Amino acid sequence: MALVQTLDFITPVVNDPYDFGRIAAANALSDVYAMGGRPLTAMNIVCFPIRSMDKAVLREILRGGLEKIHEAGAVLVGGHSVEDSETKYGLSVTGLVHPDRVLTNAGARPGDALILTKPLGTGVLATAIKAGLIAPSVERTAIESMATLNRKAAELMVSYSVHACTDVTGFGLLGHALEMAVASKVCIALKAEDAPLFPSVQDLVHMGLVPAGSYANRNYCAHQVHLDPVVDPVLLDLLADAQTSGGLLIALPEDQAESLLGDLKAHGVSDAAIIGRITGPGDGLIQIS
Amino acid sequence: MTAEKLDCRGLACPNPVLKTRELVERSGAACLSVVVDNPAANENVSRFLGRMGYQVSVLEMDGNFEVTGTKDESAVSCEVMEPLPGQDQESKIAVLVGTDHMGRGDDLLGSKLLFNFIGTLKEMGTELWRLIFLNGGVKLAVEGSECLPALRELEKEGVHILVCGTCLNHFGILEKKQVGETTNMLDIVTALQLADKVISVT
Repeated sequence: MALVQTLDFITPVVNDPYDFGRIAAANALSDVYAMGGRPLTAMNIVCFPIRSMDKAVLREILRGGLEKIHEAGAVLVGGHSVEDSETKYGLSVTGLVHPDRVLTNAGARPGDALILTKPLGTGVLATAIKAGLIAPSVERTAIESMATLNRKAAELMVSYSVHACTDVTGFGLLGHALEMAVASKVCIALKAEDAPLFPSVQDLVHMGLVPAGSYANRNYCAHQVHLDPVVDPVLLDLLADAQTSGGLLIALPEDQAESLLGDLKAHGVSDAAIIGRITGPGDGLIQIS
Repeated sequence: MTAEKLDCRGLACPNPVLKTRELVERSGAACLSVVVDNPAANENVSRFLGRMGYQVSVLEMDGNFEVTGTKDESAVSCEVMEPLPGQDQESKIAVLVGTDHMGRGDDLLGSKLLFNFIGTLKEMGTELWRLIFLNGGVKLAVEGSECLPALRELEKEGVHILVCGTCLNHFGILEKKQVGETTNMLDIVTALQLADKVISVT
């Protein structure tokens, strides 16, 4: 048995404190899942303007977080709070993993397929929520996706010969795929049109609701990305969109990919999709077609 | 036609887009300009205006971006005119180069990238209309520049190259210019106004 230790906390991405608590906790627990581990204990990390904001808001955040900790089968063992003008919440999580089966973003091999388990676009959607320019049904879909643990995907993938895994968060799919390519010393081919997206999110990109971080991701990755000119630039922006509590990006042998995908869909990870493959050894290049 | 102006400097996304949206909805202006102070807001406001049916051009100055949207109101109510024989229907692209290296991070890499960029511009074909050099960009058009062969080639293909005279003077290289026409700010502004698309390299 080996222990893995992670920490993640974020500023609010949605308006409802209970939803924010669930999302921030799912986001923090995700790091353990991406390593192939199982969360054991968690500690709250809280920054809150206790003098100017109603304590009920804080209680709601913590209630949402605790719900996710319990759903993960972990135990809340403590935490720490500081007074701050901007609310922040997250967890430090300790997890268990078999020492020979720790997954990292290094290890992807030529011939692997790449599976992404959640739709892309939470950065754009969070911006649209701030702007008040989002349909309530889409907002709900995005909140539920962000609040969903990567537990199911993690539990299913350990039955396969997974070579590498990472969770897709702030650097966007593009940034995390690039990190995987560099760490694994391979080249990755992504099919932009196969990437799962939230409904109506392309329209929101056209409206100019892209967060600065997503543009920064896109520009940062640009020199290591070969883009097929037929790819819609809007799709590129969504591949680079900074995600909160995004899905797992899993590299496994191509002949096992369909089987894992079927398993994921059968267990409620319904947006999962095969989005690309490892084309060969290299120094971290991504081709998008 | 009066232009509506909006200053969105200091505002974080999505506020510049929201302010622009409010202005478009309130005034329905056929011509408006929005000043923002970061590249993300520039891209977002440009997209929003494009989505609302405006022709969009961007002028970058001192780290600020002036995004101008225009709508040809007469075109809305007029029938589409048949193109006159021989009239050039192709869009006109103006490329504005305001630096001698491309991007930030490593200036040596940046100068190689810009050299590569200039060499690849010919791929735009006949849509490439004007190439404008200002500030550090003028160094590409003077004696000793690696870009000269590519620039001469573009000029031969009919691309109009404008080189900022004030900038050449500033660097003391007015006499060393090898390619293009020495020009002033009025020419540059006019070129940017007439172009269908402006690509700005800074």
